Amino acid sequence: MAGGVLSKQDWLLSATTAEAADVSSDETEALVPTTCNSCSNKCGLIINTKGGRLWRVLGNADHPYNYGTVCARGQGFAQVAYSPDRLTSPMKRNDDGSFTAISWDQAYQEIGDKLKTVLSTYGPGAVAMINDPRPSGSWYSSRFIASMGSANYYTHNVACDGSRSAGFIATFGAASYTADINNAKMVVFIGRSYADGLRPTSARWLADASARGAQIVYVDPRNSITAQFATQWLPINAGTDLALLLAVANILITEDLYDHNYVENYTLGFDDWVPTLTQYTADWAAGITGIDADTITQLARDLGAAGHAGVIEQGWHAACGCQYQNSFETGRCIAAINALLGNFNQEGGALFYPAPSFGALDPDKFIKTPAASGPKAGLAEYPLQNLAQGIANVVPKMAKDGTMKACFFYNSNAAKGYSNPVSWADGLRAMDLSVDIDIMMSETAMQCDYVLPECSALERAEVSTIVADMSPQPIIDIRFQALDVLLPDTKPGAEIFTSIAQAAGLGDYFTFTSDELIKAQLATLNIDYNTLQTKGVLPVGNLWSGLGTYPTLNTPSGMFEFASQKIANNTDLTFHTPLIRWIPPMVTPGDGQFRLIAGKQSVHSHTMTTVVEALMDISREYNLERIWIPASRAADLGIADGDLVEVSNDLYTKQVEAHVTERLNPGCVWIPSHYGGTSPYNTQGYLFGCPQMDFVKFQFEDEVGCPMSHETLVSVKKVNA
Amino acid sequence: MARYGMLLNTRRCIGCFACRLACQMANEVPSDTSFIRYTGLESGTYPEVKAEQVMTQCQHCEDAPCVHVCPTGASHINADGVVLIDTTRCIGCRYCVVACPYDARVIDKDAGVAEKCSFCVFTDDGSVPQPNCERTCVTRARIFGDLDDPESDISKAIVKFNAKPLAGELTKSKFFYVR
Repeated sequence: MAGGVLSKQDWLLSATTAEAADVSSDETEALVPTTCNSCSNKCGLIINTKGGRLWRVLGNADHPYNYGTVCARGQGFAQVAYSPDRLTSPMKRNDDGSFTAISWDQAYQEIGDKLKTVLSTYGPGAVAMINDPRPSGSWYSSRFIASMGSANYYTHNVACDGSRSAGFIATFGAASYTADINNAKMVVFIGRSYADGLRPTSARWLADASARGAQIVYVDPRNSITAQFATQWLPINAGTDLALLLAVANILITEDLYDHNYVENYTLGFDDWVPTLTQYTADWAAGITGIDADTITQLARDLGAAGHAGVIEQGWHAACGCQYQNSFETGRCIAAINALLGNFNQEGGALFYPAPSFGALDPDKFIKTPAASGPKAGLAEYPLQNLAQGIANVVPKMAKDGTMKACFFYNSNAAKGYSNPVSWADGLRAMDLSVDIDIMMSETAMQCDYVLPECSALERAEVSTIVADMSPQPIIDIRFQALDVLLPDTKPGAEIFTSIAQAAGLGDYFTFTSDELIKAQLATLNIDYNTLQTKGVLPVGNLWSGLGTYPTLNTPSGMFEFASQKIANNTDLTFHTPLIRWIPPMVTPGDGQFRLIAGKQSVHSHTMTTVVEALMDISREYNLERIWIPASRAADLGIADGDLVEVSNDLYTKQVEAHVTERLNPGCVWIPSHYGGTSPYNTQGYLFGCPQMDFVKFQFEDEVGCPMSHETLVSVKKVNA
Repeated sequence: MARYGMLLNTRRCIGCFACRLACQMANEVPSDTSFIRYTGLESGTYPEVKAEQVMTQCQHCEDAPCVHVCPTGASHINADGVVLIDTTRCIGCRYCVVACPYDARVIDKDAGVAEKCSFCVFTDDGSVPQPNCERTCVTRARIFGDLDDPESDISKAIVKFNAKPLAGELTKSKFFYVR
């Protein structure tokens, strides 16, 4: 390691050495319950080791997200512990973009000093914390930023479900619900693919519903694998789901197919909304969505006939998580149709399972953090956002304006996945301090002043999580350490946050170990640590008995709001109106253009799994990186399946192979959102395939703040044609 | 004694590769080697299209071409009907790799011997195997069990769904597909 600069070769060598030392002839098996870290679901796992080395990844039979099964990425991402691409020591960025390995002491000292300077010079509002929530990660990162007196806590959700969740909050006061797919007569999916953004139990529920003959309507420009379970695929024009939903609402009302009891007694604004809906006829919607009027009318009638046992599935990233100018409004309209069906807490409808929470911790040991010095940055511009998640993309914007000076990242590749990577990199380079805690050198890490190596999820214990959205009985799970720490200079995030806080003079808020925190939290719910350690999952709280009882809604009026009081009471709002209305998508493909839409594949989660060889081997073997091009348009462009094509717009150009298919609306091309990595430290994912966000403008949904990632147009041509 | 077989319900399979990873990890094979292959099928014209996911692996044939061509007896069928390879007898001649109509065999690059799905029979001692692909399948598209037991889940599912081997009677396969 000449000069202390770690080359990729050195890195590889050091990791390989560590791995080699771990190999032994010991075949003793062990089983350790823990939770998965390969996506936001965090399913229950049983790690099966042989001689201390990972052998199999088994599902915990008691966990409601996976009931004993494990998906590919869960098994693959567990292997990241042995990846030669892992960070092996703290790194400091040089002016030329290279990195120098430094000691933990130096890292803590310098980060602490710089943070103190930023706080004293610019105040707590100039510091931000961004994370993709993980059990201890979200606990420590939210406490860390709060200990400074800053409200600037942000999550990955801005680029996922932010708009939809904000729309739900504006109508029924909660971020989501659970479609009762096991009992529904009819389920309508608005762009969500259970087979791709995979939660095992959800996929199984859908397969079960299909097998028992439930009516399943799949609305998506793309015929994803999820469509195989549908009784009908509606290949809607991308970004126009709101028109379809408004027409369905109109028909439900004009044909008197809605639930009078619920609408008349538990909702607000219905009488004002009805006359505004008459313009949204099936013929009108047909012209926008590309779905014929008879099909739309039948969809509404079938939903009306299903009544309480008909439901619009809640989505997530899906078709309105963060993609369009109308995503917030689409979220509101999904909620409104469920309200018209009166299906809240009805069998086969939209269920609102309450979640128990941990009790208060000992205030002498876990000192209360100070009140924030001001509101969360971004709230003023985007008042309709889901405030718990925040709008992370304001951080680089403010950095470029000179008003955000320091940012910490945990388990987040924001600079590659939340919006335009160039704008993110510019923002990060404009700050006085940027720190990333991760297991690998992501594109975000490459732009940060300091990169701190965490040990992988199987090598650390974390706080418990309460899961209540998939079964009437809430459960508590926990992440236990299943493998010894493989790389000696990596540390658990909890320890890293604690040490930075101590170095920055915030140590009073972190006078406990992770283990003490875990046990203190469990004690508040009378959960026995040793029993949880044996089982990995335990029931917690009461069995839900709310079926048939309408939920109490946490809206300003306490009612379901067809007319949003939050919007009505905020005179600054000019784009969104209290009543749900048609908002067109912001951009429309012109001649020769396509809308660029993107989504997940079952073997990957965001960009972080592209470092895993076993998963990338699948991507490579089956050409999963290919861009989906509708067959009719491909024929016009002279593009055959497997041809190399160039995808371009004024922001980015990339060559990638074509997957020519009949399974896509002719107005768009589709790419998986995982690929096109630009970190050479990720030897598996580097430059493989085509990225999404590099084509996306650095933009914000009006009053909501999400990145409108599908308001993106590209041209496609055959290379060397 | 049993006659083990497997059923794969393609109406439930989402082609998620969970089985591939489970197989690789249980069998400790390199990640670019797989005993399970994926075929994605697309038919029809927009918007009347249909997609199907078909996973294939050793079909555990009763009339197994790989066993017939094996010059050393390494490829054999055990007492429970599972096609196995005794790697101590395998000379890596690849006759079996060519003979298998399901393309289910691979060569271990290091040891130079043939490998494939064994229904996770790691020690051929007559104990009931627990194939890791079935255990991990997220939609429960796979059912493993004893075809000679009419009360087994697999026997009942074969009748219920009229499940068939991929190639009819060609090799007397014990791997049944619902399509």
